[in-house]
Amino acid sequence: MDSQHERDEQILEILTHKLRTGGLSRRQFIQAAALFGVGGALAACVPPTAGQTGAPAVTGAGAPTGTVRFLVAESFWANWHPFLHTAQIQNRIQRQIFDRLVEAETADFSKPAPMLATSWRQLDALTWELKLKEGVKFHGGQEFTAEDAKATVELASGATDVKVNTAARWVPTTGEVVDKLTVRFKTKEPFGPFLLQLTVTDVVSAADVNKGVEPMKAAPNGTGPFRVVTDEKDRKVMEAFSGYWRGAPRIKTLTWEFIQDSQTRLSALLAGQAQVIDRVPPEHFQALKGSPNLVLTSVTGLENVNLWIRQDRPPFDGNPKLRQALAWSIDREALTKNLVGGASETALSHLPNRALFAAPQSPKYTLDPERAKKLLAEAGFASGGPEFILWGTTGFLPRAKDVTEAIADNLKKVGMKPTVTITDVAAIIDALFSKDKPGSVFHLSWSGNGDPHVSLATLYRSPGAWTGAHDSKLDDLIDSGARATKDADRVAVYKEVQAYLWENMPHVPLYNSDFTIAHVKALSGLRVLPNFNTYFYPAALA
Amino acid sequence: MTAHLARRTAQMLLVVYGVVTLTFITVRLVPGDPARLMEPPGTPETIIQLVRQQIGTDKPLHVQYGDFLAGLPRGDLGKSFRGGRPVGELIAAYLPNTLLLGIVAMAVATALASIIGIGAALRRNSVVDRAALFLVAVAQSTPNFWLGVMLVLVFAVQLRWLPAIDMSGPESFVLPVATLAVTLLPLLVRTVRQSFIDALGDDHVRAARARGIPEHRVLLIHVLKVASLPLVTLVGLQAGFVLGGSVVVESIFNWPGIGTLALKAIQDRDFPMIQGTVLVIAIVFTLVNFVVDLVYAALDPRIRY
Repeated sequence: MDSQHERDEQILEILTHKLRTGGLSRRQFIQAAALFGVGGALAACVPPTAGQTGAPAVTGAGAPTGTVRFLVAESFWANWHPFLHTAQIQNRIQRQIFDRLVEAETADFSKPAPMLATSWRQLDALTWELKLKEGVKFHGGQEFTAEDAKATVELASGATDVKVNTAARWVPTTGEVVDKLTVRFKTKEPFGPFLLQLTVTDVVSAADVNKGVEPMKAAPNGTGPFRVVTDEKDRKVMEAFSGYWRGAPRIKTLTWEFIQDSQTRLSALLAGQAQVIDRVPPEHFQALKGSPNLVLTSVTGLENVNLWIRQDRPPFDGNPKLRQALAWSIDREALTKNLVGGASETALSHLPNRALFAAPQSPKYTLDPERAKKLLAEAGFASGGPEFILWGTTGFLPRAKDVTEAIADNLKKVGMKPTVTITDVAAIIDALFSKDKPGSVFHLSWSGNGDPHVSLATLYRSPGAWTGAHDSKLDDLIDSGARATKDADRVAVYKEVQAYLWENMPHVPLYNSDFTIAHVKALSGLRVLPNFNTYFYPAALA
Repeated sequence: MTAHLARRTAQMLLVVYGVVTLTFITVRLVPGDPARLMEPPGTPETIIQLVRQQIGTDKPLHVQYGDFLAGLPRGDLGKSFRGGRPVGELIAAYLPNTLLLGIVAMAVATALASIIGIGAALRRNSVVDRAALFLVAVAQSTPNFWLGVMLVLVFAVQLRWLPAIDMSGPESFVLPVATLAVTLLPLLVRTVRQSFIDALGDDHVRAARARGIPEHRVLLIHVLKVASLPLVTLVGLQAGFVLGGSVVVESIFNWPGIGTLALKAIQDRDFPMIQGTVLVIAIVFTLVNFVVDLVYAALDPRIRY
């Protein structure tokens, strides 16, 4: 070991001790480390938080080096406009290119951290004031100011004339520029998820917004650590943005590439042709655990996989006992443990287990065929039935075919008459919307950002395009949840919402998805969160 | 000859027309609305309808069909529903990779099949013959998706001799070519072996030997030419299998070919892309068989057009 290295080690030891004992904040720790010029070793030194493989925020040190190839399981089917799609893969890649005003940097979504907003305060039930970071530049060279923050939130929240997909998760919110680095937002009505919505709202330039939708769809211009240099159908190449305000990334070139087949992704990682792969199925865990040079990171996703029932079609509409019978018929524990595996967990509520305000519900709806038969009889199917199509997917949810068939077996044992149809996503979506397929039940999932409002509003609020939801009491509950801005109020509302859903069982929540990423050990500092985000800043490749 | 060429060309056009028409109808009968797949969950029906107008799927079927046919003479295969790039442009980028892979695999398989098949025929019922037939049986019962993965695990992951995925250089051809070639081999070996055995017993071969012509000349000139006729036919038919099999092999090896393009297009219900890829595959297949017919005539003097 040379003397420079020894000096670095000693400084890091002192700083790390101070960090652990509370003598330094994380930010002070990073600044001190950078001051002493030992930032290069930080990624390996900062203790990881849950669901992460390294440090959540490290100032870049030295010139970016190395190439990281990340093979992903979902195709890049959406456009670059951050607010004109809800594609999970697109949101994930945007996290490398754009910044947010507020960041959810760990798995604890109740504690948003500063990003482009350095601080914030709520002035009244409708108004929030944010102080912004100085010296931030967009990839295109524009300086970030309050005008950009205003334009971003107004566009994303649906407060402008432009129709955006993200509006469904917001209430219209207008901005007022107080000064160059201070912005005040006013929501149309009290909006509890305001801060959490900011954590998933990519900041765009006001100048870009003024140019219109098409240029923003064509190419991204963020303030994030990486900028896109090659944009191909299945391959996006990004390079380190040297002007990044938190310090240049330590990875020089980051490539995200779509490869659908999980075995092909695994082979590439094992052969050294990729550094990171996602959506590793549990059957591949053993092969990866045997390799000393690879790391496997599993998190329980913020995604409920449901037995999804169209609530506007017979025989399940207006028949909660029949839906409860479904829930008592299915061995959810066995599905989770024996078929899905990994970090998946049996669903405890209609909210993902790790979502904010999620609370385990009672009864647990464990497998109870006798109870299911009794409920079936009460629901009007004493002599067997009902007959319905149970749809399962291929190429979407892991082991979906096996799970769907296992569910069908469970249901047949209590006298229900499901007909299993396994098809691709395109056909299943068609079936979901077709009006001539009554009583259809689907094995499908829904993911969110950690706030209950997103999934509740989309799935259960009238008119539920995807579910046929039409329950005015539930609508009121969901709306009051969105309007509650104090945590205590939100806890109370969402407790009531979950209990109501559990009693009425509009869907049968089965399990929370496993989300597993594998990467080379030489890559440190990669953050993997339950909302499926994978942050490559400040990761480094040794 | 000219009349034959004209007739065969007309037949080819008819086959291709039939294939694209069937494809055009079939993709629209299969469940799956491309407009809905292009938009995120929760998108209002008005927006979905707008997308249908933009991509043209709101028009009556016969109008869509007319538009499609009208574009063909200009080489306009339409634009992909995903990304809006011209289908012809994407196919032009991906097709050469598939053709190259297929041609190399066919060449390797044919060469190997000739060596093994001729060797087995010349030593009929010997250990060599039995070993060849055993190998053929093993190859025939080995699925290419399994073989491809195994080859990758051994030669790319364990030994690190070859790349596991991608089309990156000559070495990247080895594993996908081997996978395709092994799949093609059994039928080719059996055909070569049997046709050689038949040819070796022909009167003209016996006569050649009786005239004292050296054995190597008998084999190369008198046997090979006759015995290769079934092989030529088979190569033409196998071209279709190679194009079809490329979907699996390209997926295993992340090969940027038309097979992966077609597969993704089917999943996305990208009608123009599906129609374009099927059209091109149909053209390639009929062209190969057309060439095979011509070669057959050149090899067999009894055939005159």
